[in-house]
Amino acid sequence: MRRSLGEPISVVYYFDARTKTIKPYQLTWNNQDYRLGAIDFHHKTNVGGTLLHHFSLCDEDESVYFKLQLNTDNLHWELEEVMSASERSLLYGGQGY
Amino acid sequence: MQVSVAYSTAGKATDGYAPRFLPTSGTGYAKAFVGQKRGLVMLNRAEPTILHIDLNSCFAIIEQQSNRLLRGRPVGVAAYDSPRGFVLAASYEAKAKGIKLGVNCQQARVMCPGITILTPDPSKYREAHKRFKHIMLQYSDKVVAKSIDEFVLDLSGSPAQRAGLSPEQVGQEIKQRVAQDLGEAVTVNVGIGTNRFLAKYAAGFDKPDGMTTINDGNLEHFYEGQDLIDLPGINVRYRRRLRASGITNPLEFYRADERTLHKIVFKSVVGKYWYQRLRGWEVDDRVFTQKTIGHQYALKQKTTDLRELEKLLIKLCEKVGRRLRRGDYYANGIHLYLGFSTNQPATSKGKKTRVSDHAAFMYSPPSTHNLHRAGEVKDPKGTAPLGFETNNHTPLGFGTDQYLRSWHQGRKLDTRLYSSRDIFLAAKQLLRSAPIPSDVRIMSVNVYGLNPWDPEQINMFEAERNLSSGKNLSDAMDAINNRYGNYAITPASMADMQGTILDRIAFGNTPD
Repeated sequence: MRRSLGEPISVVYYFDARTKTIKPYQLTWNNQDYRLGAIDFHHKTNVGGTLLHHFSLCDEDESVYFKLQLNTDNLHWELEEVMSASERSLLYGGQGY
Repeated sequence: MQVSVAYSTAGKATDGYAPRFLPTSGTGYAKAFVGQKRGLVMLNRAEPTILHIDLNSCFAIIEQQSNRLLRGRPVGVAAYDSPRGFVLAASYEAKAKGIKLGVNCQQARVMCPGITILTPDPSKYREAHKRFKHIMLQYSDKVVAKSIDEFVLDLSGSPAQRAGLSPEQVGQEIKQRVAQDLGEAVTVNVGIGTNRFLAKYAAGFDKPDGMTTINDGNLEHFYEGQDLIDLPGINVRYRRRLRASGITNPLEFYRADERTLHKIVFKSVVGKYWYQRLRGWEVDDRVFTQKTIGHQYALKQKTTDLRELEKLLIKLCEKVGRRLRRGDYYANGIHLYLGFSTNQPATSKGKKTRVSDHAAFMYSPPSTHNLHRAGEVKDPKGTAPLGFETNNHTPLGFGTDQYLRSWHQGRKLDTRLYSSRDIFLAAKQLLRSAPIPSDVRIMSVNVYGLNPWDPEQINMFEAERNLSSGKNLSDAMDAINNRYGNYAITPASMADMQGTILDRIAFGNTPD
């Protein structure tokens, strides 16, 4: 089971009232801004009574993949996984455990 | 097409053979049996209404859907990403390089140098399963999940059938809906047949993204040129058995008469079932009730250390206990399984342990100190720990090389198992009675003898009253964990165990 990197991250996102969905638009990671592309997979999990949303998506250039987590209790965003197109090795929490 | 007709000569055995697993009403039965004598079982000529939908390379393809950098590239999802972790699912690009279930990561990297190996992300796969099932339910209420990535859909009498949709049209719509709801990288194979067996068999053709219908007109064509183990449910042992009777391929298997299969090949009613199954009659729609609840764990750090094993056992028992209580059951029996590493015998330097070396140890009287409670004595011979009644499980499992590969034992109890603590204490008794000749690599705990916890009758005896208070405590702990997350409150002995037993998706049925 992959664990989250658990890295707090700044995300710009918007809510679409028509489709009743939110969409991460841009994030800042390692002092670099990434404009985000379409959401490729979205799923939800619960940790006790806390609902978490998970978004898997790439930046617009399709050079970096991110998996982001939105905590609906405190609306904090967290970076769970990341992968660059150049290395294609996934970075996630608890590796080598 | 030439239809194979087999006359049963089993006399009394088949004379009154009312095929209880054949449909007793509906067009299928009537159509198939027109003009036939009693005792004959011919091909099911009904219109196929069973769909078997199989998500192609499930885990790997969901990873490719989630991460577009992986699309079109070889991907393997492995239990662990360490060299010995084995691949659970491979993408089609990886399969093309020969990587399949059971290849380990080290081998996979040699066979396919560019492969990306990922560890599983179960919550993502469960979400895909949920969406997948939601799509199926739009077409029929008769949907059975055979596993995380396989569904059986029965269209007979469904709204889709009443609306005039053919199974092929439904299959095509499902494919489109899967692409919309799960993502464009996700594809499914659809198999259509008159029974579950033929539908599953059909789903194995034209992978990925195929759709195949097997009916009375093309059945023999699909049996032709295939190997026996290509048939769902035929494993290497069955193939050996069939070959020993001169049946070497699916077509010969299909053409074999019922008596041969029943009396000579399988020597049981299984032969009759195969005879029916191969002709498109349904024999696999039986629903089995849940009889056990269990969890298994493959240790990343294999060990013989009893303390380490007990720590893992606590967490396995907690997981089993949570599921037991979620179903509002209690159990009357417990079963422990240990799988041993055959590479690193722990008992000697450079010398493997032979069976005879530890068999005596196996049967030495187990420790009794943990479950010795009032009112639990049920062992007239005094050979089992107090509170336990041994069952007939064979405790030792040997490999062909005569080294102990596994050990398991089950015990029936005369008390109710409900709290994780009680389950752990019972499992610990079993663990302490087990021989551990080499590193333990797999450990599993199952509880059986499941009964619903009926409205509780307050007992006048003290021991039973104590049991009730244990139930209340367990329920209270579960409520806290449900509110604040798994393992928010745990026994002190589990304090440093966070994340040790990983979440896994089981192969096979997904009952809860």
